[in-house]
Amino acid sequence: MTQTILVVDDSPTIVKFVSLSLKTRGYTVVTACDGMDAIEKMQGIDDVSLVITDLNMPNLDGYGLIHTLRQNEKHQETPIIILSSEEDEADMERGMQVGASSYLVKPFKSSLLLEEVTKFLK
Amino acid sequence: MAVNEKLYSKMQQEIFALASSVGEVVEKFKQLHHPLSESHERVPKATEQLDKISEQTEAAAHQMLDMVEGITQRESDIVAGLTELKTKLSAGTQDNAEAESTIDGLIEKADKNCNDAYTIMDVLQFQDITSQQMNHAAALLEDIEGRLDGIISIIHGKDSSNKEKKKSTSKRAERAYDPHADMYEKKTDQEMIDSIFSKK
Repeated sequence: MTQTILVVDDSPTIVKFVSLSLKTRGYTVVTACDGMDAIEKMQGIDDVSLVITDLNMPNLDGYGLIHTLRQNEKHQETPIIILSSEEDEADMERGMQVGASSYLVKPFKSSLLLEEVTKFLK
Repeated sequence: MAVNEKLYSKMQQEIFALASSVGEVVEKFKQLHHPLSESHERVPKATEQLDKISEQTEAAAHQMLDMVEGITQRESDIVAGLTELKTKLSAGTQDNAEAESTIDGLIEKADKNCNDAYTIMDVLQFQDITSQQMNHAAALLEDIEGRLDGIISIIHGKDSSNKEKKKSTSKRAERAYDPHADMYEKKTDQEMIDSIFSKK
């Protein structure tokens, strides 16, 4: 059974780019356009192995999504990778504080993304 | 004497009224100064963002075209190599060692094409970056628009909370973007980021 990764971003280009990179490596990908959509989608999935999320999104941003997921016992240990164009250390620290596992700055190479993913999904 | 006093009183009233009007004008100018100076600062920022979009879109397009040029050249080489191999195999003149070497070369070219396709995919992220830059520029322009509305309202003595302004503000609130999004100027590397997260 393949591992399922949830990709959350309000940019359709990034969603497609990340999904394509992951699918070629055999992962199953579920996508969401913002934090609220991600929470709804997660309710319909049995097992999410990893979450990849943007920070700046309408309705519910990445910080809010991570915070919400960490409140849920089921997702306390789920690896979460942040994708953001924000390069401030403060954003990275905040991401870490709310419970993110890793952080990638946009734009990034697909090889780097896969490297980060395989750190958590061996 | 009575006439002079009456005239004096009238003049005094007029002077007070004039002083009051001048005071109001000064106050209005003070109110105008802030939105004008703020707008003045935001216009170059919006222009800078638009210039950045133009430059980075062009650079990304060139980078992709270079990749496509390489891919098409190697595709032609692959087709030519396979055609030659087929011809020699049909004629029974193909040497095994030579065939192996040709196939290795073709595999190398195919691999390079695959890598370049991934690079094109990476570069296509410019659409997301420029979209954020455009949202930033649009937000700056909307902000200027709001300040100019405020100036017009001050001049005409109207309430600035009209329907159009509310509509514009609600549209602005929908924008989610990073004002620092940049395609080519990364200040951090992944090792540094990983070291922050390793403290967890």
